[in-house]
Amino acid sequence: MIKVEDLNVRLGHRNVLKDINVEIEDGKWTCLVGPNGAGKTTFLKALLGSQPYSGSICDSGVEVFRNHDRNVAFVPQHPQIPIGMSVSEYVMLGRSKRDGWGNESNKSRNLVADILRLTGLFGMQNQYVSQLSGGEMQRALIARALVQEPTLILLDEPTSALDLHHQIAVLNNIELLKERGVTIVSTMHDITLAAMYAEKIVVMQEGKVLLHGTSEFVIHSPELKAAFENRINVFTLESGRPVIVAKKDLGN
Amino acid sequence: MKMQNSNSGLSPIWNWKITALSFALLFVVGILAISFGPVSLNFVKIIRTLFGLPDGLTGQERTLLIDLRLPRALLAALVGAALATSGAVYQTVFRNPLADPYLLGAAAGAGLGATIAITSAGADLYSLLPIFSFFGAILAVLTSFFISGKFFAEPNSLLLSGIAVGSFATAVQTYLQQRNSSSLRPVYSWILGELTVANWQIVTWSSIYILIALVILITVSKQLDGLMLTDEEAYSLGINPNKLRVIAVVAATLATATAVSASGLIGFVGIVVPHLVRGITHRVTNRGLLTIALVGASFLVLADLGARTLLSPAELPIGVITAFVGAPFFLVVLRKKRLVTQ
Repeated sequence: MIKVEDLNVRLGHRNVLKDINVEIEDGKWTCLVGPNGAGKTTFLKALLGSQPYSGSICDSGVEVFRNHDRNVAFVPQHPQIPIGMSVSEYVMLGRSKRDGWGNESNKSRNLVADILRLTGLFGMQNQYVSQLSGGEMQRALIARALVQEPTLILLDEPTSALDLHHQIAVLNNIELLKERGVTIVSTMHDITLAAMYAEKIVVMQEGKVLLHGTSEFVIHSPELKAAFENRINVFTLESGRPVIVAKKDLGN
Repeated sequence: MKMQNSNSGLSPIWNWKITALSFALLFVVGILAISFGPVSLNFVKIIRTLFGLPDGLTGQERTLLIDLRLPRALLAALVGAALATSGAVYQTVFRNPLADPYLLGAAAGAGLGATIAITSAGADLYSLLPIFSFFGAILAVLTSFFISGKFFAEPNSLLLSGIAVGSFATAVQTYLQQRNSSSLRPVYSWILGELTVANWQIVTWSSIYILIALVILITVSKQLDGLMLTDEEAYSLGINPNKLRVIAVVAATLATATAVSASGLIGFVGIVVPHLVRGITHRVTNRGLLTIALVGASFLVLADLGARTLLSPAELPIGVITAFVGAPFFLVVLRKKRLVTQ
């Protein structure tokens, strides 16, 4: 359980996060949604422990920036592409904390090979990371997170640069993590996709948490419409799944 | 266990054979360099002399070896190792394949220091040229750090302030040169790089700084992979990116400043050697930092051999050789492997 209490983050003169209080349950997928500039990415960085904050973020009772033994994977929205690094080397970086930098145990090598197969990257392991397409790169990132065997994974807009086909593929790969008992926190623009995969949704606006709860609860909550300035409609499919659609006739 | 290894289908992270080969290369090139010159020395006698065995070189030949060729070859090796390693580290830290060791103003700062030493009238500061250029380089890089303010929050801001500091130092240098036109020639020949001044004193003090820097860089080299990722990813993999960047840049700058002050500005080594080693080994540069140091050393020892012998008894500036041989060779490799973008 990650307990966030009175979390505040200032960047320069701006309060990017204001008085955030939420609880993130172990082994569940929590999705942060909200418009650009709502503070979602900053919240992820604070959960990682790399972003200085005031207030408290306790993971299993320990303040996150103090705990250097935590094993948290981070998948950024815009990854740096390392020059001259092969796909297998890139995925192997996920083992660095366990094996020590520059070392590779046999266990790690076998695990990396397994995960490359699982994510459909086997056969490309000797290619340079820079040669991968957007979808393949996203899969390489997820593969690296998988071999890290983390307790928590933080994903920043894992599907934003992908077409629908690849979005589903990546989201299914993230579900692999959940099957392994990993706690997942992601940001996502697309609330329909968020509701389809995540169990918990946290709606953020201008650095504050507007509402949070189970996906079902949040999707049908009137406050959600308010968060998007009434620019969305919520429909329910025959299967019971909610679909959120942007209103086209805005301003008329 | 071996079966498991091959079953995983992944090639090993780094091959010790490559490092052993590059040690051998440096040894062979080193022997060649001290054997050949305007006067050739007998290879067997050189070995006997070096190991203190009887029937070695005598008289003038011995002096030639011990006082001239040996310190010169050692200095070339040290400078080559320093420039190649710093280049590779800068390329990683600034996430830029075109970064070179002179990037943060070290070259321009050293140039200004050297020019002050050469042009200062009334005092004989020429013998202090290495000290002036060393502090010139360090001061320029410190100024870049100071101006960039954020201290590495953003590598690009440091890079930009390095360019600004470099331009400023070059402007002052040009002004001083114009006022003392008699200094143009010595300054120019220093800029092209020279190892003719090599003696045991220079070898001793430069080896101290360069070896300290190399040991630090090779120790942290494996973690440098983390700096090729975003800071958050590096942090999640157990690295403090800001701290590591400072350590890496300080050590690389120490090596560069020492190299520049001992031998002038020798271009191209810092860019060519890391890319070359990467092209041949297909490994990320950080993993092979020791190999890069050894290949850089061999490259410069060989270039210096060319500089001494091609127009013998006259000498070419070593910077001319590194660019004249290095550039076309590099272009061939570049075309074949498309190194820079991948």
